[in-house]
Amino acid sequence: MTGLFSEVFLGALLFGAITASVPLLLAGLGEQMSEKAGVLNIGIEGMMIFGAYTGFVAAYYSESLWLGFLAGAVGGMVVAAIMALLCVRLGLNQIVIGIGLTLGFEGLTALLHHFQFSRTYPRLPAAQATVIPLLSDIPVLGPALFRHHLLVYLAVLAVLVMGYIYRRTQFGLNLQAAGDKPAALDVAGVDVVRTRSIAVFTTGALAGLGGAYLANVGAGIFVPFITNGAGFLGVVLAMLARGRPSWVLFGALVFGLCLSLTTAMQVAGINMPTDVIQMIPFLAVMGMLLAFGRKSSLPAALGIPYERGAR
Amino acid sequence: MKKYILAAASAILLSGTMTFGAYSAEVKSIAILTPEEGTDYGWNQQGIDAAKAAGAAAGVEVKIAQGLGYGDVRPTLRELAEDGVSLMIAHASGYNTAAPEIAEETKVPVAIVDTPTGLKAGLVADYTLSGHEGAYLAGRLAAKMSRSKAVGIVVSGEPPSWNSQSAAFAQGVKAESGDVKIIYAVIGPAAYSDAAGGKRVTESVIAAGADIIFGQGNGSSFGMLQAVETTKAADGGKVLFIDVIGDKTAIDKGFLLSSVVWNIEPVYAAMIADLKADTFGTKSYSIGLKDDSVKLLKTAQIPDDVWAAIEPIRADIISGTIKVEPIYEATAVRALMSDVKE
Repeated sequence: MTGLFSEVFLGALLFGAITASVPLLLAGLGEQMSEKAGVLNIGIEGMMIFGAYTGFVAAYYSESLWLGFLAGAVGGMVVAAIMALLCVRLGLNQIVIGIGLTLGFEGLTALLHHFQFSRTYPRLPAAQATVIPLLSDIPVLGPALFRHHLLVYLAVLAVLVMGYIYRRTQFGLNLQAAGDKPAALDVAGVDVVRTRSIAVFTTGALAGLGGAYLANVGAGIFVPFITNGAGFLGVVLAMLARGRPSWVLFGALVFGLCLSLTTAMQVAGINMPTDVIQMIPFLAVMGMLLAFGRKSSLPAALGIPYERGAR
Repeated sequence: MKKYILAAASAILLSGTMTFGAYSAEVKSIAILTPEEGTDYGWNQQGIDAAKAAGAAAGVEVKIAQGLGYGDVRPTLRELAEDGVSLMIAHASGYNTAAPEIAEETKVPVAIVDTPTGLKAGLVADYTLSGHEGAYLAGRLAAKMSRSKAVGIVVSGEPPSWNSQSAAFAQGVKAESGDVKIIYAVIGPAAYSDAAGGKRVTESVIAAGADIIFGQGNGSSFGMLQAVETTKAADGGKVLFIDVIGDKTAIDKGFLLSSVVWNIEPVYAAMIADLKADTFGTKSYSIGLKDDSVKLLKTAQIPDDVWAAIEPIRADIISGTIKVEPIYEATAVRALMSDVKE
């Protein structure tokens, strides 16, 4: 330990951990809904990066972060629409289409960035924080946890909303059935394709929102390939969470905290190869997989296109 | 008759040799492959601009394949080789495995980075460039200008070229003042485009007390710049940024203190000359303060008296009075930072 570990520094580390967690949380919640409905959404990285691009463009030109978030969600839904059409409606291979969407939209956004911003690299001003009275005055934890952009609190609220939908609503049951026994859902008179499409669109909106948060608040700028695999981490978190939104939140926080821990260890001058230090977040995720994921079961019809009457 | 046959055979042999010699010396076009677009005010842009300039000077066409990412570039290399280029410059350390393989396969020479032991006569050249002399000057500058007596080094990876600059920066800081703390942080194993990571780590380093950031990281450096622009130093004042390789003056909002600017054109010009002279792949290339292929950028943030104090140090490095040896190993770089412990 060194004298560098002041209250301000520890607060900044925790603040950074939360900021890094939010895109993963939103992507993980979105992926979880797709998987519940039987759609393995590998294209979530493409949805995130397109959301990051559209979100940044909207925020930059309108000077409104909220319009940016809205545009990010819409951008993610545009990619989701392609996924829904090709995989849910036409029944094409979900993994192949997902990879194609990711690569395609990484390339498209890099190209658009090249024409629009590659000479100017515009940056957004710092995001305005919503300060929670009293709680924000707690030493270290207060500034780190209770002085974030409002979207951070809404993202946490989304965990509760998702939990409610899955446990208490007919739509939640429909999602479960679409992923486990789509034929039974069909027999019950519920449109499987429609149910799965709604799930994929919701995934797109959440992933796009996560991408927009990453670009507009996390970085304050859009650069090509900015998501840097965050969407794929969302897939991992969703699979580890075994259908529970609160576990997605837990996993995202663990990953974010481990990222900050790597910075703390380096700043402390711990004489260890940085490659080893930087394995910590990924080791933590693997540890979670070993501890909690062994008994996890995925929906029986995950990744299988639904075709009425097919055997 | 025998005399005529011998004469004819000699003539054929001679003409063949001359033809081969002429063929080997012929350089009509070269290609450069970069992982990101050549508009990053950094590594990619400097590489492409240098290739264009060297090509123009030598009357050689330059083909540019940019924004290729950090994945497999073998198909692009094969395509360029089929197009008949005489040299492929693989301008990313991530291409160091693929490029020599394709050179063997197609017999088209390649230039790779950060692999000094990878030389192969006529086929593979290495240009492990280091702006360490400029980084040393940047360290002296940072130590002179830091109000908090703490400076940060933020990098998005630990390739040899950046290690040598991180080390030289730290040496410069220490040479100027032993009281200045150096805070070193790596964003990720290969976080070159991780702008959000760049911002997050830089904010933490600023919170640890740094008021000057020496940043190395292609796309992620824009995140570092964003952190510097939106975060106040411990004393409530401005945090300043020292960039590397390129010149971000055009997009600066008043936070750019300096940059260790590289000019790679002499390196590529030397490669073309070596191709023509059949000496390609037999030697290493370098850049330095002496020929201005490395220089420290003067900005409005640097007071005249501070800049005036930097100039003699530059002269001392060029004359050899001050020796700045490159340190490429990450372990040795981290050891230099260890004295931040209290």
